[in-house]
Amino acid sequence: MKQPVWDLPTRLFHWLLTALIAFSWWSARFGDTDWHIWSGIGILTLLIFRLLWGFFGSSTARFANFVRGPRAVRAFLRDWTSWRLAGHTPLGALSIVAMLGAVSVQVGLGLIATDEDGLNEGPLARLVSLDASETARDIHEYWFYVVLALIVLHIGAIIYYKLFRGQKLLKGMITGRIALAPGVEPMRPAKWWVAVLCLAAAFSVARWVVAGAPPFSP
Amino acid sequence: MRNVVLAAAVLLAGCGQSAENPAANADTPSGQVLPIRDNAAVLVRTPNKAQALKLMHDRHENMEQIGKAFKTAGRELKASAPSLAVVRPSAATIAGFAPKVPSWFPPGTGPNVGKTMAKAEIWQKPADFAAKAKAFRGAALAFNAAAKSGDMAAIKAGFGDLGKTCKACHDPYRAEKH
Repeated sequence: MKQPVWDLPTRLFHWLLTALIAFSWWSARFGDTDWHIWSGIGILTLLIFRLLWGFFGSSTARFANFVRGPRAVRAFLRDWTSWRLAGHTPLGALSIVAMLGAVSVQVGLGLIATDEDGLNEGPLARLVSLDASETARDIHEYWFYVVLALIVLHIGAIIYYKLFRGQKLLKGMITGRIALAPGVEPMRPAKWWVAVLCLAAAFSVARWVVAGAPPFSP
Repeated sequence: MRNVVLAAAVLLAGCGQSAENPAANADTPSGQVLPIRDNAAVLVRTPNKAQALKLMHDRHENMEQIGKAFKTAGRELKASAPSLAVVRPSAATIAGFAPKVPSWFPPGTGPNVGKTMAKAEIWQKPADFAAKAKAFRGAALAFNAAAKSGDMAAIKAGFGDLGKTCKACHDPYRAEKH
């Protein structure tokens, strides 16, 4: 019997982030820098939403319910059935935190970066020196490989679960429903209007960033 | 390769001819650039390997200086009250370099010779490349004239036009870094 594990906002976040990261890569390589910057703003909006949803969202989205210390990770590695909550495991949590962190760093670098010719700059580039913007661009180019490595690890873990543990995590992230072992606590959903409020807050912050973060902009 | 005669706007001599035209370097901020004889036919010689590498290195340094001046001006122009004291030297730097750009790309300074972001297409489509360099030169001189005049609307418009000429040439003729 399949039960709800991932709510709609979490799934939308996941797949929109997937799409925008792919588009960001494509637009950096083949497209317009303008598009790339707007894609980054979109990712920024998603990240802020996910951060808020991690505090006010459904049980499986809340950081407090899955981010655990090294002891819990070790306990989980010893006995995979010891974890009794639906959603991320303590080990998976490390991956989530790493991916959210790495993408946040990437967005932060992009916001202050300038392109090679100074034709396009991130909306916060003028808050830092030209040299800092150039350095940010250089790191931004290489940091993508950190993000990419985490994505590869993520996909590898999903394949591992499918082949060796019989868990269809991909389908779960599409339908939101996963067959849970007996005794595993299912998701407690948050109210839909909480998601609307989180999204509105995320849009507001992103808009402020696009405006150059007044009153700090020169 | 035998010597060929071409318009100076397209190509220019190797380093060995520097002594011929010392005055040409006078308005150059950095010094280390090749002489330029604009609007005149000159002998075009393919530089030897050492000359080519030196030329490619200087070309890169000069392009970096143009880029830095452009970015400095651009950032200033986005401020709420741009300072002409910042914009003017940047515009002058770019205008000083711009007429020399065609001379930085003689045959034998492409990616098959040494490390460069200049694409081989530059030498496959010399007329188009020359036209784009000429457009850049025109925009750079116009931007400098606007900066001198102090008319902020004209400066901003001139800056926008200048950026388009950078992009118009970099898109087809400059390779990605990696």
